[in-house]
Amino acid sequence: MNTFLSRANTIFAFTLSVVAALTFGCFLSTAFEDHRAPVSIKTAKAMVKRVSDFSVSREKNDLGFITFDLKADMNPLFNWNVKQLFIYLTAQYETDNNKVNQVVLWDKIIQRGEKAVIDLNSMNTKYYFFDDGNGLRSNRNVTLSLSWNVIPNAGTLPKVDGDGTYTFEFPTEYSSSRS
Amino acid sequence: MDYLLPLVPDKIRNLPTHMDFDGQKRAERTFQVIIILFAVVGFVWGYICQQFSQTMYILCAGFLLSCVLTLPPWPIYRMKNLDWQKPRITEETLESSSTVSSKSKGKKK
Repeated sequence: MNTFLSRANTIFAFTLSVVAALTFGCFLSTAFEDHRAPVSIKTAKAMVKRVSDFSVSREKNDLGFITFDLKADMNPLFNWNVKQLFIYLTAQYETDNNKVNQVVLWDKIIQRGEKAVIDLNSMNTKYYFFDDGNGLRSNRNVTLSLSWNVIPNAGTLPKVDGDGTYTFEFPTEYSSSRS
Repeated sequence: MDYLLPLVPDKIRNLPTHMDFDGQKRAERTFQVIIILFAVVGFVWGYICQQFSQTMYILCAGFLLSCVLTLPPWPIYRMKNLDWQKPRITEETLESSSTVSSKSKGKKK
């Protein structure tokens, strides 16, 4: 503390410690938040085709086409320790080959300050709904669910499942490739 | 840079730039209090308007304020100079000091 530089060093170091303490306080103030929110999902159209997934092999696999309606209000999830939400729609189903199949069909990033109400009607999926075999046709139990990651300023990165899932079935016949 | 020193006028060169021990202690306490005060206020304000950036801006303001108040050696940090004992004058010291001074004088000449 006897020279200009040593005082500058001490003040800077002390300020950094205080910044760390404040950041930790910010984390603590939101550590026990409940990041869940109600979600309503529906499918408007579901059909299944049999096409080649060339990126994997030449065999013909089931490819599902669905359009979905999605309603969710994400506004309550935001607070001073949330920078953005990564929201994704997952289809989960069971086939003879695999007990659990999960396919991400659609996702969206909502940053803080953007419009946080999701209201989609007859939305197409963003990614292909390929099965790794022929398990989609006449599958009676495909469950759509919405989940999200909460990206904070400081702290943990929670993965949260929305309240509300929707179960639908695929038709028993392949659609012709034209439709 | 040393060659610049003689060019500086004596008035400026003789400005005191030190802090005494008590001043150093008070300077440290001053910036600690200021920064913690701004941190607490910033945390509350940031929580109220739910913007952590506001907390950081207020803390920055406290940092700058404490820099202005405690970095330069202001005269208020120089109010309790140490009372050094006066050098005891014995024959030995007289002799040595006289020899030293005479030596230095001789060098100068």
